[in-house]
Amino acid sequence: MSAPPNTCKEVLSHISGYLDGELDATACDAIDRHCLECASCAALVNGLRETVGLCRQAATAPLPDAVRQRARESVRRLLDRQGKES
Amino acid sequence: MSSADVKAEYAGLVKAAATGDRGAMEALLVRAQEVAYRFSLLVCGHPEDAEDVMQDALIKTYQHVATITEPEAFRTWLYSTVRNACLMKRRRRVGEPSNFVSVERGIETSEGTVHVDVADPSRAIDQRLIDGWVDGRLRQALKRLPPSYRMIVVMREIEGLSTKDVAAVAGVSEANVKTRLHRARLMLRKQLEHV
Repeated sequence: MSAPPNTCKEVLSHISGYLDGELDATACDAIDRHCLECASCAALVNGLRETVGLCRQAATAPLPDAVRQRARESVRRLLDRQGKES
Repeated sequence: MSSADVKAEYAGLVKAAATGDRGAMEALLVRAQEVAYRFSLLVCGHPEDAEDVMQDALIKTYQHVATITEPEAFRTWLYSTVRNACLMKRRRRVGEPSNFVSVERGIETSEGTVHVDVADPSRAIDQRLIDGWVDGRLRQALKRLPPSYRMIVVMREIEGLSTKDVAAVAGVSEANVKTRLHRARLMLRKQLEHV
């Protein structure tokens, strides 16, 4: 990467890479330092971190039992029907 | 579990299912329907389509497994198939007649009035299931994103696909996925502040 992000604009353009762990240590340190002095960028980073966290929580939420049950029943019906036909 | 691990797990199930392992086939088909359910609800936002999209994923996955040559590409194929099924479903709905039948009056025919059953009550149950499944604030915020951004954020953040796989499903470049994901996160954050 070129020069580490220092201004608010540069931090904003690198923020997704920062959250996804795609930036090198120098760039991450620069963003951390900037956020210590810039309350609005710090709030943005924290807000986006919470947003990503909320999405990832949804990823681990199991589907409703009724939906899983319906899916399993459809699968068994299909496989039983195919088994009889072959 | 990383995106690569999930991909490898799918590939393992596909290989076993292709050799006649019923347990692997069952697991794969259940997963295909779960993907279809989540995608219908979170990306397309139409719970009423979920059942049909799940059925489509079930049949197409069953047929596809017998002819698959690249098990590692299965996961991308599945999301592309589900995405297309959702799109087709919407197009069909757009073509449906716009004049709706009154439930109270029924349909006038030459043999008198035919009364119409009210929509399947399980739809209301489905809505309650959805409400209890994913955080309501997140669902509301997702609904307010432009559809192309919503698809990227759901596949990347919730479904855990890699940037490369999301790009393949969405038919855009990896750079475009990253740009849309960045904008979608900023929009989501803003929406979450207001819901």
